[in-house]
Amino acid sequence: MSKIGITTTVPSEILFAAGYQVIDLNNIFVTADDYSDYIDLAERDGFPKSCCAWTKGIYGVCVAHDIKEVVGVISGDCSNTEALAGVLEKRGVKIHPFSYPHGRKLADVKAEIERFRECFGVSQESVEEYREKFNQIRALAEEIDRLTYQDYKASGFENHLYQVSCSDFNGDPDLFKEQLAEKITEIEAREAKEPKLRLGLIGVPPMTVDLYQYVTEFGARIIYNEVQREFAFPRWQEADNIYQLYHDYTYPYDLEFRLQELNKQIQERKLDGIIHYTQAFCHRNIEQIVIKDELELPILNIKGDKLNQLDSRTKLRLEAFLDMLGDLKEGQA
Amino acid sequence: MKLLGIDLGSREVKVVVMENQEVSQQFKVSTMSFYRDYCNFTGKIVVDLKKLGVEDADIKISTGYGKNNTDLEEFETINELKAHVYGVFYQTELKNFVLLDVGGQDVKVVRVEKGLITDLELNEKCAASCGRYLENMAEVLEVPLTELAEYSQDPVELNSTCAVFSESELIGQIAEGAKLERLCAGVNYSMYKRLDPLLTKFKGKRLVISGGVAQNKAIRDYLKQDYEEVISLAEPQFNGAIGCCYYGQLTGEAENRE
Repeated sequence: MSKIGITTTVPSEILFAAGYQVIDLNNIFVTADDYSDYIDLAERDGFPKSCCAWTKGIYGVCVAHDIKEVVGVISGDCSNTEALAGVLEKRGVKIHPFSYPHGRKLADVKAEIERFRECFGVSQESVEEYREKFNQIRALAEEIDRLTYQDYKASGFENHLYQVSCSDFNGDPDLFKEQLAEKITEIEAREAKEPKLRLGLIGVPPMTVDLYQYVTEFGARIIYNEVQREFAFPRWQEADNIYQLYHDYTYPYDLEFRLQELNKQIQERKLDGIIHYTQAFCHRNIEQIVIKDELELPILNIKGDKLNQLDSRTKLRLEAFLDMLGDLKEGQA
Repeated sequence: MKLLGIDLGSREVKVVVMENQEVSQQFKVSTMSFYRDYCNFTGKIVVDLKKLGVEDADIKISTGYGKNNTDLEEFETINELKAHVYGVFYQTELKNFVLLDVGGQDVKVVRVEKGLITDLELNEKCAASCGRYLENMAEVLEVPLTELAEYSQDPVELNSTCAVFSESELIGQIAEGAKLERLCAGVNYSMYKRLDPLLTKFKGKRLVISGGVAQNKAIRDYLKQDYEEVISLAEPQFNGAIGCCYYGQLTGEAENRE
C-alpha cells in the first residue's frame, strides 16, 4: 500500500478509496522523541527561524521519511502550505493540492471535492462507502468526547488524542476503530470526577500537550478541544454525502461560522474559560483580535514555538489566569 | 467585617485595614523594622498585631515577594500579582488594563482582560529599572525624590545599563556643568528607557501605574506618549495591601453566601 502524507484533515475517504495509506505528517512530527531534529533539518535547508514549527516539522518528516506524495491544503488551513508545497515539489515530492473554498458555499466545496476525487480516479460510490465506514469511527470519537464533558471520565488529553487522530485514523481505520472501542470500555469503568474549572482549548492542536496535565494542578480540566473535535466531524449524522460533511466543518472557513459553533459549545459544556493556543508566526494569531471580542468568556492566548513542553513563563501565566478564574467562579472577582 | 492586608515589600511593609469596604487605617513600616520589631519566628513568621496596632481583624491576607517571606501565621497568602490586580479593581473598578507596578526592587507588568490576568512580565536579576535607582540618583544629586520627579524636559543622556555606572555618567554630566533640571530629567528618562523593553509586549490603550514610582510625574509624562490613557492610582504604594483587603472581602462575602 503506498503512503500519502497530508498536511491537515482532507477528505481522506477519497485517498483510502484510492488505496493509499494516509499519514498525517503533523502526527509523525509531534509524537517523535527527536521531533526537534525535523525542525533542524528544515532550517538547515533554508526555512527561516520566523516560520511556524509545524511547517518545518512537516517538511522535515517528508525529507527524513522519503515521503513521495503529499496532499497540501493550500487554502483554508495554513498560509505557509502553498510555499511548502512548492519546495517539496522541487525536491521531487508529488503534490496534490486541495482547498477549502473561502466563503464556504456548498457548490464550491462540492466542485473542489469532485476535482480532488477525479484526480485519484475513484468513484463516488466507493467514496461514500468509506464515508459510511468512517461514520462508525466518528461515532466512537464522539463518545470519547461525551465521556469527557458529560461523564467526566475521559481526560483532556485523551479527548485531544483520539479526536486529533481522526485526521488519518492513524493510517489504519480498522485498527483505530478497535483501539477506540477498547479505550471507551476502559474509560467507562472509571469513576466520574467533575473538575472545578471547565476549560475549552481552541485553535490549532497544541504542540505542548503537557498543557492538559498542567491545568489539572489548579483544579481545571480541558473538556473541549475545538479543532480536534472538528477533525472528528462531530456533526457527521447531519451529512447525507461527503460534500455536506466537509461543508459542515468550521476551522478552515470563515471566522463567523466558527464563532457560532464555539458559542454553542461554550453554552452546552458550561465552560468557565478558554485557552486559545496559537503557534508562533502563524496568521491565526491575528484572529485572536476578533475571537477575544466576540466570545464573552475570559480567554488566555498562549503561543507555542519549537518546544513540545510549556515554558516556565507560559506556566506562570496559566497559573495566574486559572487562579483568578477560580476566584471568578466562586464569586470573588 | 474587618480586614487586614499586609504587603511585604523589599523596602517597606505596607499595612491596610478595611472596614465596611472603606480603608480605615493605612501605614508603612520599614521592612527591617517590621521583621525585627514586630515579628517572632516559630517556624512560621508570627506578627505581633497588638504592637502593630491592628488587632481584631476577621480576615487577614498577606502578599509580597517570595512565598516564604510572606507566609505569616494566621494569614492567607496570595500571589503578589493578584494582590495588585485586586487593588486596581478596588481603586478604579476597571476590568481591562495594563498594570505597571514599579517597586523598590522589582517591576511587574500585568495585562488584565475581562477581569483576569492574561499576561505578565517581571524584571529579572537586575534592579536598575526600579525605584531604588531613583533613590540613589536623587542622593547623588542631593535633591529630594519628590523634586527629582518633576523634571522631564531636555534630559541629559544617561545610557548605561548598569545603575552603578549610571552614577558615574551622572557625575560626568555634573562636571560638565549641566543644569540640575536637565540632570533630573536625564535620571527620569533613563528610568523610563529601562521600563520600555518590558512594556513593548504590553501595548494597549490604558495603563495603570502603581508602586512608589507612580508618584514620579516625569515618568508618567513619558508613558503618556505610549498609551492613550495613563492612570495613577490614588494610593499607588498601598495598592498591594488594599488588594489583599479587597480579596479578603470578596472571599468573605462568597463564604457568607454559601
